[in-house]
Amino acid sequence: MDVYFWLFATMAVCAGIFTIAARDPLPSALGLLTVFIACAALYLHLHAPLIAIFQVTIYAGAILVLVVFVIMLLTTPDERLSLFQANMSYRIMGAVLGVCIMGLLAAGTKGIIDIVGSKSLPDGFGSPARFGDLFYKNYLLHFEVASVLLLVALIGGIYLAKKNL
Amino acid sequence: MVTLTHYVALSSILFGLGAIGFLTRRNAMILFMSVELMLNAVNLMLVAFSEFRADMAGQIMVIFIYAVAAAEVAVGLAILIGLFRHVRSIDINKFNLLKW
Repeated sequence: MDVYFWLFATMAVCAGIFTIAARDPLPSALGLLTVFIACAALYLHLHAPLIAIFQVTIYAGAILVLVVFVIMLLTTPDERLSLFQANMSYRIMGAVLGVCIMGLLAAGTKGIIDIVGSKSLPDGFGSPARFGDLFYKNYLLHFEVASVLLLVALIGGIYLAKKNL
Repeated sequence: MVTLTHYVALSSILFGLGAIGFLTRRNAMILFMSVELMLNAVNLMLVAFSEFRADMAGQIMVIFIYAVAAAEVAVGLAILIGLFRHVRSIDINKFNLLKW
């Protein structure tokens, strides 16, 4: 199973680099799609089939299609939008900060090697039935709050997209 | 043997790539996609911890993050379209209305 992890991890990192380095936003969106698909494959490996399905339908499906639509709407041919920050100091500072964040997070991995976890996962771990059980017993309030949040976002999105704002 | 450390390192790299993209690009759409990349890295880490601790709470959290991400995309893209109507550009250096 190691090959499986390394294959999709390499795919995710390469596509991630492509996402932030592509000149145009559209190839960048393609790179992002590849990252999402690679992560979905890793979720399957991690016994989270439902999350993998949601990753493909919500992220790679709905969100990315919306992003591509907006890219198509907003691209103006008269300016080179794809450029990096014009000011060189911004670029250097941004890259240094990003690498620092990456290094800090990676340094944190040194302390977690002893969490091996129980070898045997409980029955039905990650199954839709288990999800339903948890949502309607332990996380009912959170579930309802999330639905209200989505409703508010829906109304907000419609209001903000009005013509005469 | 793939351990938790591998997954945490992978998601750290993805998060860092997203941060670099967010701080160095000036196309608002690419900034947006960098934020999505960072969210995705966090999801990966939560699912990995959930697996290695045999605790479903991490996966439940990921579902809630999906809801928040969907809300963020809906409102964020609407704001971006509104800004584009005013400025006729998606270069973030031109979005300086609130700059002192």
